[in-house]
Amino acid sequence: MKADVELNLVHDGENWIARGGAVVAVGETLHEVDASVTHALRDSGVFPLGSSVTVFMGFDFDTIPTWLRQYHAHYFNRYITVNL
Amino acid sequence: MATVNRKWTDGMLRTEDWWAVWLGLTMFFAGLLTIWGVDLVGWMTKTKTWEWAKFWGDPSFNKLLAGSHVKEGQAYAGLGGFGSLLVTYVVFTTLTCVGAYFQKLDVKKFFFGFTCIFFITWTAWIIGHEAHFKALKTGQSITQSEIYGDNVYCTTKVNKCSAQINKALNGLGVNVMAGQVPTQEQAAQAVAKSKNAILMSWGLQLGGGFSYMLALAVGLVIGNFFKGFANFLREGAKPEWFIKTAIVYLGIKLGLMSMKATGFALELALAGAAACFVAYLLFWPIVYAMGRKVFKLRRDASAVLSSGISICGVSAAIATAGAIRAKPILPIAVSMLIVVFAMVELVVLPTFYAAVAPEAPIVNGAAMGMTVKTDGADAAAGAILDEMMVANHYRTTGETWEADWILSAAILTKIWIDVFIGVWAFVLALIWVYKVERRPDQQHVGASEIWFRFPKFVIGYFIAWLFYVAIAVWFPDAIKAASSGAGVVQSPMRKMMFMLTFVAIGVITDFAKLKGMGRLTALYAIALFVVIAPIAYLVAWIFHNGMVPPLAAG
Repeated sequence: MKADVELNLVHDGENWIARGGAVVAVGETLHEVDASVTHALRDSGVFPLGSSVTVFMGFDFDTIPTWLRQYHAHYFNRYITVNL
Repeated sequence: MATVNRKWTDGMLRTEDWWAVWLGLTMFFAGLLTIWGVDLVGWMTKTKTWEWAKFWGDPSFNKLLAGSHVKEGQAYAGLGGFGSLLVTYVVFTTLTCVGAYFQKLDVKKFFFGFTCIFFITWTAWIIGHEAHFKALKTGQSITQSEIYGDNVYCTTKVNKCSAQINKALNGLGVNVMAGQVPTQEQAAQAVAKSKNAILMSWGLQLGGGFSYMLALAVGLVIGNFFKGFANFLREGAKPEWFIKTAIVYLGIKLGLMSMKATGFALELALAGAAACFVAYLLFWPIVYAMGRKVFKLRRDASAVLSSGISICGVSAAIATAGAIRAKPILPIAVSMLIVVFAMVELVVLPTFYAAVAPEAPIVNGAAMGMTVKTDGADAAAGAILDEMMVANHYRTTGETWEADWILSAAILTKIWIDVFIGVWAFVLALIWVYKVERRPDQQHVGASEIWFRFPKFVIGYFIAWLFYVAIAVWFPDAIKAASSGAGVVQSPMRKMMFMLTFVAIGVITDFAKLKGMGRLTALYAIALFVVIAPIAYLVAWIFHNGMVPPLAAG
């Protein structure tokens, strides 16, 4: 699936953080992150207001401790569609 | 630099799973070259069964170790036991360090850790091969002890020893195959002439399984009592990588075994797949319901734990947590639990199954595959069970089951479980995103999630297996030449990777990690021993009942 914006997603123990280019979105839940992404994209002015933007969030597997990575190599990726 | 799976090729150079494929297939192709007369694997060292008194009478590495193809006229003729060990060390250290570099491990730490683990492994392996621990009695000593005595042990495969003794008797004019019975004197002379028969006043007859148990014990002692040293080794202790590589090598073994018993191998594979499918449908809902209703766990914790306990351990816990978008701390906590419990299962179950059901070897192996979580612990438990049951059966009946079929049953069921986890996690992700956490903003789950969660080492396993089946079907004249190289990869190389796994899995297991995880630990223990183990055994029995390994060729 093609995305208009690509972000890296991590979890710092308390919050989810999505980062990419000028966008930094933080939230305790993914729902909050999504809202934060919408605001950040709206504020960036890159996309016209009223447009629909597909955002890819790829989980940065480096967040998982090294000893655990040998068991599995993927957490999750997600796509959201936000209406600006 | 972030590590995100985006393209389908992502991870091919940086995940341990893919590196198991590369390491496995490198040696697979190197072994295959013997078809064209090129021997790139004959340097691989292997252990010999040795006897304490004889060794100290004239100490030499050549009594403990030998290269695989070092006889006169072979590619590595003259390479002594120590020389072949050094070559083995250099080759595997180089290959694994290259893998460690691409996996973004600390290569320096990995090198030192791996080096220590390598030599600890070989030391345990050599000690485990001392005849008083390992050697089995010869068939003659079991069935005709009044003629041969009950103190004749064999330092190689027992069938080979029996054949040597019979050949020596033939030379003395006694044809035992025609029913002639030797005198005690003739029997004693034949035993003395046999290259691999030795007399010992006692022997534990533990077979190759003793080396595995010793390696595991050494690893556990380091992991739990020498924690500073364990931390030093940790970067090089990669049991999942080692065992997945060994499983690719096992694909070669299964290919070779399939050449002789195609129907049995196919039956084993299909029965394993069916059993796993049934087990999946039973395990997960029962454990999930227990977590929610009895232990009052949150929905996400219950789902992650259910997958971890009932499917494929750590891998399933991470996959499920990702699928339901849980915070990463949840699978990390559950994984600690799984790793420690897998060790308990590894220690308890092989002995238990072998004692309780000595005549149900394949059922035991398949049940092991469905019960023991983590590939490393399952393969390790399967290997111990295989060695133990083959040795026990031989001791009680004088009949030798072909080795590695029980192990294959354990691994095949586990592989089917592993393969299915990607699909299961995808289904869970769909349920979670579109039903449980349904929201007005559109979320999508890409089908690529299945591929990213697919256990890639399985690809190497099936390539190796089917390649040798193809040789048998289309190029039967090449079987002998192919078996020469394949024999090295599937036997001493595979067993070395198993042994490395045993030490490494012990090193990373710290039982103290269970502290403070009361409710989860209680649920895990109850679910495992009250739900999973009995159901797994029942399902294994339904699908594998009556299956026994073929008898080893005499």
